[in-house]
Amino acid sequence: MAGKRPYAVYDVASGEAGGKLTVTRGTGRRVREALASVLEGLPPGGVLYVDMRGVELMDYSFADEALGVLVSRVASGEYGDRRVVLVEEDRELLENVEASLRQRSLAIVRVDEIGASPEIVGDVPEHLVDTLRSIYEAGSITNADLAVKLGLNHTAMNNRATRLLKLGLIHRTKNTAAPGGRQYSYEGIA
Amino acid sequence: MTATKLELNIRRKGAMRGILTLGSLDPAFEGAEGVSSGSVVLDLRPVEFVEPAGLCGLAALLEFLISRSRLVGVRIPEHNVAAYLERMDFFRIFGHRVETNVDVAALEERRRGNPGTLQELINFHSEDEIPGIINRISEILENRGYLLRERAAICATLSEICANAVEHGRSPFGAYAAVQAYQHIVSGGRGKGEEVLVAIADGGVGVRETLSRNPKYAEFTETDNEALRHALKMGVTGTGEIGRGGGLAVVGQIAVRAGGSLSLRSGSGRVTHYGDRTNSRNVPPFPGTFVRVSLPRKAVDEPTP
Repeated sequence: MAGKRPYAVYDVASGEAGGKLTVTRGTGRRVREALASVLEGLPPGGVLYVDMRGVELMDYSFADEALGVLVSRVASGEYGDRRVVLVEEDRELLENVEASLRQRSLAIVRVDEIGASPEIVGDVPEHLVDTLRSIYEAGSITNADLAVKLGLNHTAMNNRATRLLKLGLIHRTKNTAAPGGRQYSYEGIA
Repeated sequence: MTATKLELNIRRKGAMRGILTLGSLDPAFEGAEGVSSGSVVLDLRPVEFVEPAGLCGLAALLEFLISRSRLVGVRIPEHNVAAYLERMDFFRIFGHRVETNVDVAALEERRRGNPGTLQELINFHSEDEIPGIINRISEILENRGYLLRERAAICATLSEICANAVEHGRSPFGAYAAVQAYQHIVSGGRGKGEEVLVAIADGGVGVRETLSRNPKYAEFTETDNEALRHALKMGVTGTGEIGRGGGLAVVGQIAVRAGGSLSLRSGSGRVTHYGDRTNSRNVPPFPGTFVRVSLPRKAVDEPTP
C-alpha cells in the first residue's frame, strides 16, 4: 500500500531526537515532536512510517509519550486524514507500546517492514476486529460490499467503519458518482 | 554531649549473613526519627557485604541524618566493606559530609579498577540524567554477556523507576541509584545462575501522598501498604492523566517474568511482588520511596520459557 499514497519514513534509531536507547518521557516528547513535524509536512491522506527496528531499549514512559500521545492526536483528527504506521518486528520491546495504547484504548497498525502484512498493536474492540481484517484483506472495499460480506445493514457497517476511521486505522474515500448517491470506500493504511 | 547511636539489624547466620540490606537499616531508620540536632553515629561494623539496596538505603538514611543533625559519624569496618564503598563512590558523595574512621586517601590510592559489574552509587536530580545512567548499565550488562533482550528488560525497568523517583519525588537530595550484576543468585539464595539487583531511593513525599493527589484513589490511600499495592496496578497515577501510571506495572511484569521480584517501600509500607503474589507488611517508616528489583538469570542448563 505504501506505493499508493504519499508516505514518509522516520527512523527513530538514527533520528536526531531518538537513538538506539529510547527511555524517559523527555526523549519521547522530542521524538514525538520530530514525528509530528514530518506528519504535518505530508499531503492529506499521507502515511508516516515510524521505523523502530533499530531501537535497542525502550521503556514505557518513552512509548507512551512518543507513540501513545501521537496516536491519540491522530485519532482526535489533529492531523486530518494523515496516518501513522509502526514498522517493528514482533519482539518484547513492543509490550511497552501495547501497554500504552491499551491504556488509552487506542491502536496502531504495525508492519514488520514496509509493504508487509499489517498487524494491530493496542486495543481494538472485539466487534471491530472482523471489519478491520476484511478491509485489509480486500485492499479497498465499498461500504455496501463490506456490509454484505459481514452480514450487517448499511448503517451498522458505516458506524463500525467510522469507528476504525476515528482510531486512525483505515482510510475512507467518498464516491459521489455511485448509484444511489454517496458511497464510502475503505482501504487499509499500510 | 554524647552522640545518639544508631544500630543495624545484620543477620549473623544463614544466606543473608553479614549483608547490609534495606531491611537491616530498619532500627537505624526508627532511631533516626528521634534525631533532631546534636550528633549521631551509625555503626556499620557488623557489615560484611553491601548489596545495592543496602547502599541506596544507607545513602537515603545519611541524607536524612545530615539534614537533621550537627554531626554524623559512620563507623565502617576496615576491610572489604570500606574498599567496596570506595569503589561504589560512596566516599566521593559522603566523604566530606560525614565523619568516618576510614582513611579515604589511602583507599583511593590502592583503588582497583572497576570489575565491570557494578554501577557506582549515583546521585541524580532530573530526568535528563537518566539516559546516561541507562547507557552505562547497558554497557555493564553487555560486557557480562547479557543478550539484547535481557538488557532491554533490565534497562527499561531501571529507567522507569529512576523517572518516578525524580518526577514524583520532590526530594531534597534527588535520588540515589545503584546496580550490581552478580555472578550468582543472591535473592533467596536458591538455584544456579546470575542476578542483577537494581535499587533506587528518593527522599520525596512517598507513594501514598502522591496518589492522594488524585481524589479517585481516596479509598486506596488509607495506609501506605494499600497505596503501594494500588500503585502497582496499570494506569494508577497521582496526576490522573491518561497514559500515565503504566511504568511500575510494566516493571512488575518484567521482574516476574524473569523469575525475580519488585519491592516497594514508602512510609511504613513494604510491598513485594513476585510470581503471582503480592505480599505486604508494616515496617519502620522510610523517609521517601525505595524500589528494589531483582532480575535473576537462570543458568543456561535451566532453559527459561
